[in-house]
Amino acid sequence: MALTGKQKRRFWEGIQVVAIVLFTLVMLVPIAWIALAAFKRHVDVYQLKLFFEPTLENFRTVFEPPYSLGQKLFNSTVVAAATVAIAIPTATCSAYAFSRFELRGRTALLVLILATQFVPAVVIVLPFFVMFRDLGLLDTLQGLVLVNTAIVMPFAIWMIKGFIDGIPIDTEEAALVDGSSRMQVIRNIVLPMAAPGLVTASIFCFIIAWNEFLFALILTNRDAVTLPVGLALFKAEEGDLWNLLAAAGIIIMVPMFVLALIIRKHFVQGMTMGAVR
Amino acid sequence: MAGVSLVDVTKRWGDFVGVDDQSLEIADREFLVLLGPSGCGKTTTMRMIAGLEEPTSGDILIGERRVNDDLPKDRDVAMVFQNYGLYPHMTVGDNIGYPLKVRGTPKAEIPERVRVAAEQVELLEFLDRKPKALSGGQRQRVALARAIVRTPQVFLMDEPLSNLDAKLRVTMRAELKNLSHRLRITTVYVTHDQIEAMTLADRVAVMQHGRIQQLGTPVEIYNDPKTLFVAGFIGSPAMNLVEGEIRGGTFLADGVPLLARSGPDRTGLVLGIRPEDITVTAPGEGDFDAPVFASENTGESVLVTVRVGGRKITAKADRYTDPRIDETIGLKVDPTHVYLFDAATEARVDADTAR
Repeated sequence: MALTGKQKRRFWEGIQVVAIVLFTLVMLVPIAWIALAAFKRHVDVYQLKLFFEPTLENFRTVFEPPYSLGQKLFNSTVVAAATVAIAIPTATCSAYAFSRFELRGRTALLVLILATQFVPAVVIVLPFFVMFRDLGLLDTLQGLVLVNTAIVMPFAIWMIKGFIDGIPIDTEEAALVDGSSRMQVIRNIVLPMAAPGLVTASIFCFIIAWNEFLFALILTNRDAVTLPVGLALFKAEEGDLWNLLAAAGIIIMVPMFVLALIIRKHFVQGMTMGAVR
Repeated sequence: MAGVSLVDVTKRWGDFVGVDDQSLEIADREFLVLLGPSGCGKTTTMRMIAGLEEPTSGDILIGERRVNDDLPKDRDVAMVFQNYGLYPHMTVGDNIGYPLKVRGTPKAEIPERVRVAAEQVELLEFLDRKPKALSGGQRQRVALARAIVRTPQVFLMDEPLSNLDAKLRVTMRAELKNLSHRLRITTVYVTHDQIEAMTLADRVAVMQHGRIQQLGTPVEIYNDPKTLFVAGFIGSPAMNLVEGEIRGGTFLADGVPLLARSGPDRTGLVLGIRPEDITVTAPGEGDFDAPVFASENTGESVLVTVRVGGRKITAKADRYTDPRIDETIGLKVDPTHVYLFDAATEARVDADTAR
């Protein structure tokens, strides 16, 4: 039986909806599972019960010894915040230079910066370990900040450069002729206009540093352990303590959700922030 | 206030020559228009005066002071950009007040001076708005107000009207004229629009290939073009330029005699006649007869194009003329406004416009 055009279109729309629902489920089910498990008792974890007696016991347990998640939460926050605090101003200067100045080998440098992202972390983590051991940076927050800054920098430079490129050169030249020094142009014109971009880049960098696992795993062992590494603690002799793992997972995820909500607003703003023509 | 001097200024990017060994004296309080097609070096010239481009060689003086090594902020100029260059994150008032603020004007004085500048361009009720909430013409006014809020040595205007629609452009042109008359500040104005140049300028510099082809008052440029380029660039509809030769006291185009022209026989010439210097007559009563190719009524006049040999000549006839296509008509040329150019060098060959 031949389908009319309208029926065909309906058919395809139906298939699209099913596909979208499937993908969404694949993404959301694990998160939902974690969200439920975090409030379950150990005995209930392996049962797919939707109705159970919720408990906050897990959240208390993870902050008590031997897990002491509080320390790790503190470490993660300090590392991510310090990374952003160092990376964003540095990246902004660098992005401005790349965007506005004629530099010898500008394109090559930009590609090179991006290329550092192509090196798999696993490949270089061992040399890092040796280097940090010799420098006395193993298991220190400073060491982690250093590594994370290096990780987010290329990304931050490229992203901020995109936003600065979007600021019409006329606006800056007008400010120069109006009597500004180059620094005044950056402070009074470029930074306010690129602000949505800077916020977006900051949040992205924070998330990357917050979630960073591999370097933290290899380069820390006691004092500077971060949240993602801390999750590994919940492997006990009686098997994985999924309820505790889930509670810790929620603690990691919730700040990211909040940031994602903020970013959404700024990201749209950043995208639509056009010149006044 | 001060004049501006360019002394042997050249701007090169690699092999590309933007401005070619150009000198120019702009008098104090003069309104000078740099006119030319895109890529002729007019904007580059202005940007070098502003300090946004560095000349490859040569000197730029504002007043008596050599400013080559001064930053834009130290040159005491104000500039209006083609895209206005407004600060989108600031209100109109803050936009206008920015040059004052950044130059350390006492905070207490700024609002009053912003108000005065805004009043001159009729923007008073928009001071609290962001540029985004303004129309194109209003944004243009903000850019103007930002330029006039201080009294700079020199105004620089880079195609300030080109982003406006046709009607608004005419209005703003008149306002600019009025404003410049009141302020009497040395102004350099870049445009590719010959009407703007004719109407606004004290003197016009017509540029091509990085060089000024002719510098003079609008009337001189229009009535006494020194080169083929200037002749063809100024005027709308454009001047008729007919290649041909003089033989036996007559100018011939493709062997067709057009009009009497004294002087020795000579080939390789271009005859220039403005359409408004040609009158349509009955056949046999003008300098030459030709069949009508097209007749376009613009409302205020009728543009009659005729075919002479392989060439076309346009006459601007009065608005009641109504020739039919292919009808043969006579054309009479005002002999005092006929120009001859050398086809090879493009220079004028008759200094005297009289026959």
